[in-house]
Amino acid sequence: MRSILTKPDTPGPSLALCALVLLGAPLGCDTTLPFPVASAHSEDSPPRRGGTLHLATYGDLRSGIDPASGTDQSLGPIHLVFAGLVDYDGSARVVPDLADHWAVDDGGRTYRFVLRVGVIMHDGAELTADDVKRSAERALHPSTPDPNASYFANIAGYEAYAAGRADHLAGVVVEGRYVVAFHLAKPDSTFPYLLAMHTLRPTCRSAGDRYSDAWLACGAGPFELPPSGWRRGTSLRLVRHPGYFRPGEPYLDAVEWTFNMKALAQRVRFERGELDLARELTDGDTARFMADARWRPLGTVEADTSIYGESMNTRMAPFDNLEIRRAVAAAIDREHLRMVQPSRMSVLTQALPKALWDDPSFAGQGYDYPAALQHMKKAGYPFDPVTGTGGWTEPIEYLLFDQGLDVYTAQLVQQDLAKVGLRLRLHLVSYSAFLTLQERADASAMSQGNWMLDYPDPSSIFDPLFTTEAIASEGSFNTAFYSNPRFDELAARAHLEADAAVRRALYREANAILCDQAPWAFTFGHHNFDVRQAYVHGFAPHPVGPLDVSGVWLDRAGEALERALGGGLR
Amino acid sequence: MLDAPARTRFARNRSALAGAAVVALLVAFALVGPLLASHGALESDFARGVAPDAMPVGPSAAFPLGADRIFRDVFARLAVAGRLSLLVAVSATLIASAIGAFVGIVAGYYEGTRQHLPWPAAVGLVGALGAVASGCTRLAIGALIAGTTASLLRRFGGPRLDVDGLLMRTVDVMLAFPFLLLVMAIGAALDRTSAVTLFVILGATGWMGIARVLRARTMQVRSLDYVAASRALGQPPGSVMFKHVLPNVAGPLIVSATVLVAQMIVADSVLSYLGLGIAPPTPTWGRMLFEGQDYYSTAPWLVAAPATAILLAVWGFNMLGEGLRDAIDPHEA
Amino acid sequence: MVWGVVSIVFVVSSLLPGDPARMVAGAQARPADVARIRRQLGLGDPAMVQYARFWKRLLHLGPRVIDVEADSAHDTCAVILPLGGSAVHIDFGKSFQKRQSVVDLVSTRLPRTLALALAGMVLQLLLGLTSGVFAATRRGSWLDGLLVGSSLLGISTPTFLTALLLQYVFARGLGWLPIDGFGATLGEHARCLVLPALTLGMYGAAYYTRLVRDEMVVLLQQDWVRTARAKGLSPGRVVLRHGLRNALVPIVTAVGLDFGALMGGAVVTETVFRWPGLGELSVKAMLDRDGPVIVACVIVSSVMIVGANVLVDAAYARLDPRVGHSRP
Repeated sequence: MRSILTKPDTPGPSLALCALVLLGAPLGCDTTLPFPVASAHSEDSPPRRGGTLHLATYGDLRSGIDPASGTDQSLGPIHLVFAGLVDYDGSARVVPDLADHWAVDDGGRTYRFVLRVGVIMHDGAELTADDVKRSAERALHPSTPDPNASYFANIAGYEAYAAGRADHLAGVVVEGRYVVAFHLAKPDSTFPYLLAMHTLRPTCRSAGDRYSDAWLACGAGPFELPPSGWRRGTSLRLVRHPGYFRPGEPYLDAVEWTFNMKALAQRVRFERGELDLARELTDGDTARFMADARWRPLGTVEADTSIYGESMNTRMAPFDNLEIRRAVAAAIDREHLRMVQPSRMSVLTQALPKALWDDPSFAGQGYDYPAALQHMKKAGYPFDPVTGTGGWTEPIEYLLFDQGLDVYTAQLVQQDLAKVGLRLRLHLVSYSAFLTLQERADASAMSQGNWMLDYPDPSSIFDPLFTTEAIASEGSFNTAFYSNPRFDELAARAHLEADAAVRRALYREANAILCDQAPWAFTFGHHNFDVRQAYVHGFAPHPVGPLDVSGVWLDRAGEALERALGGGLR
Repeated sequence: MLDAPARTRFARNRSALAGAAVVALLVAFALVGPLLASHGALESDFARGVAPDAMPVGPSAAFPLGADRIFRDVFARLAVAGRLSLLVAVSATLIASAIGAFVGIVAGYYEGTRQHLPWPAAVGLVGALGAVASGCTRLAIGALIAGTTASLLRRFGGPRLDVDGLLMRTVDVMLAFPFLLLVMAIGAALDRTSAVTLFVILGATGWMGIARVLRARTMQVRSLDYVAASRALGQPPGSVMFKHVLPNVAGPLIVSATVLVAQMIVADSVLSYLGLGIAPPTPTWGRMLFEGQDYYSTAPWLVAAPATAILLAVWGFNMLGEGLRDAIDPHEA
Repeated sequence: MVWGVVSIVFVVSSLLPGDPARMVAGAQARPADVARIRRQLGLGDPAMVQYARFWKRLLHLGPRVIDVEADSAHDTCAVILPLGGSAVHIDFGKSFQKRQSVVDLVSTRLPRTLALALAGMVLQLLLGLTSGVFAATRRGSWLDGLLVGSSLLGISTPTFLTALLLQYVFARGLGWLPIDGFGATLGEHARCLVLPALTLGMYGAAYYTRLVRDEMVVLLQQDWVRTARAKGLSPGRVVLRHGLRNALVPIVTAVGLDFGALMGGAVVTETVFRWPGLGELSVKAMLDRDGPVIVACVIVSSVMIVGANVLVDAAYARLDPRVGHSRP
């Protein structure tokens, strides 16, 4: 029986406690950043050998380091462990790496590479042309899970080899101990770019002729993988390859990655000096670092390596109407869109990232609200912004996946398009469903298109995204299902053309067609932003994207003291 | 159930009144708040919402609770979110509690016995399930459901049916089914991001706990004198369950339900991790919490606002529930 | 029953939209390459063939000692029951994404999730039971209000927020504990376990606090309890011996449910704290449509739940004689 003498529950204390904890916690966090850990010597002093570079990432290495099966996740480590015949220099030009030089013959159909003499691989053996051929055949074999094999379909004999009818790849010919020639079916000026990709990079003899999951990575790059270097799902440690063919390099003793680390943990570790380079800080954190005068010089903006736009299915209403597409392209305020992630997004008004196409005189697309209304009127669906009547009356399905930028930019685009009478209805799906549905001919009217540069050339964007042969009923990368014979012709000619000036003119016309016909409303380009510690020197961003730390050297103040005291301060 | 003495007891309970007041306040905020706000919940304001460092502004004159990541008014969004969050949480809890109570009480009541089951009804049920399943042209699922049901019926059936066994095995299967996959399957079968999908997901995953707790409690209550007496007197089981068992298990039921409301409100943010729940741009408290987590230290208002709302809702419902329980059944003290 | 659950999972995951081969190959892989990878993963075969193949491989007889180099037919198996010269093998197949034997993956991660589940369970019960008892015995006081309030705080905060808060206060602010990770030595494992277990503990304790408090409040006000106290038995003994014992039935129910759920993997907690357990594995597998891993995780978690239920049912009979014996 409830006694009337019992004090009834007082709500006070419990509520007060909750309020205190909840509101007090964020106020208790400090907003001042620590000092960057200093460098022992100034920036212009000569490089020093030694030290381990600590990196972290939100992703994971998944299935290992192998150029024959590498995906975006593993490009960074692959780039360090495996050197290729060619690589990029600071201005995104292809220069020889393992090759000493190369020559182009036969009207652009043959590329003959002469290798450097005396390149020692991680197992101590010397690199020869046989290794190059064996690695190429290993990567392109039908039993290998290589996601990029069809990029090399232009190599002579590829079809027979990929179908299993031939034992060897006829187009790769060993002509001497250090000479190897690639014969192509059609002339292709972008072939050096393909070689700079990771797929055909030479592997040691231990890799054998066929791909195997259990192989321990071994190549000719500046760093090698020690036997227990990869703790699956946790960390990866690469150590210096003492026999690297560039004398004195690499400067670092080792590079260590930690995987699956979330943003807060990365930031805390970076502030404490346990991480040396941070690439995945949130925007809020990035803004705080860049607002601090001590840290601002330590931020590096990399080149735009991907393009984003609103892909409109030209075979579905209302986007089969050209004027409506033009209206969309003019209605989106790209400066506003950029505010979603200002440190990593830049405005894009045409089909190519700024690093590939920086021409202020080129018209392209752009935000122009009155023009957008005009286009809607020309389309036959005039919209009156004052009364809010008119426009396209049915809601348009917009396909969306919940990961980072897409969600936020979609909501901004929805607001912008509502102002010209196009009402979007956002349809959220998982990433894998998104890929499937976006690439199906009749599944989605509008979605965000994006593409990462495989190599710094316009063909890397035009060919897979906007040509007619890229269209398929399932799995079509041409998500706008856009077909234009003139555009196809330009893209094909530019692919064969060797003269740079002529190519540029061809691409200029192709670009103009895309901007005018607007299968996509190009919105923004994306680049990476790195913040490094003051003692990290020699960091030069790679033009195509993987984090390239091969030239980095460390010069940490107090490191000598650390070693003297017998152990890290970490 | 809420007669005059119960109402008096409720009115004298200070914390129950406080709880009711908080809930009423939240409902009022949800209904009226958007009208008072200076901005719409779905409008980005790039003129006043952007701070000098290009980040969203904090609490200020134009934005009483700050701006969110795309510069919308958090105050307005919080109010609009309240409508949906409260509605979804309460409805889903009612669904889950009803299912859980039914299953739990029936299972506990019939535990250890076998009952006659009218076979035509059972066959009809299985047939209906099969028809629905194959109507969706998912013949595989239909066959599987029919097969599993048939095998369960065979195991537990025969001339007499072990109701408790059947129900509890269903609970076990539901519990063993991974939450993620279940949620994604429901999301794929229905439209992934409608409110109805959300009800179904939350209701379908929330009832099992209540069922188990109530079953255990029913088995204890079953042995009470007056319950046994009324059964011996020949009262029909339905009436016994409703008149005698239900009031006795009302205590744990109400407590479980109020805890469930809290979990439902929070569950929304967990579902956001999987890309489920109400589609943007419509806000819910759980989604606002999920979106704000990366900005915990740089823009704490993005987390503090929905978290406070959720906390108040949880507290309010809890105090309310407890007050109801104390009012209905003072013997439980 | 495990069979039923697994079959349903198989069917459902094959009907979900999304292509596992595409998730392996990456977003920018050309269709021809994705098709090749799909064939290599065995996804080109019709669903029934894949289903039959899976069950045939799941438990089969094979050599006692598996020599991975020589015998590739058994490279993803593990021996679970030696029988003279041969043995029973269990084989979950190979993960699409990680290209690793799923048995290996699961067996490495299972003990970690087990450790986290047990630690979380212990903390939940510790925090929950003690707060519940204190709150019940001091009903109506400020302590009661405080404890109830903090239990509400526990329920209403989703785990990722609690995790964030704990990381911020203990790892970043005070620096007493590591911010995330698993560690290399046993000592480090223990230190890394504290915050994730505390996150789970705080979240789950709330329910136990309320449960215990309610049960005990009822019991403490019954006549025979008052009599015992009047006779001079110390309140502590009365509380613990009689009050708690009777409250155990619903607590045990909740523990059973809880343990099963925790063994499915505390997904969010494991992800935020970088604790490499089954939860992290299963959520990634589901998002990447990694079929073999999904099925294996489901099998493990259903076995765990069934096991937990069996233990709970056995405990019922021992704890509350009323439950076992009364039959109409």
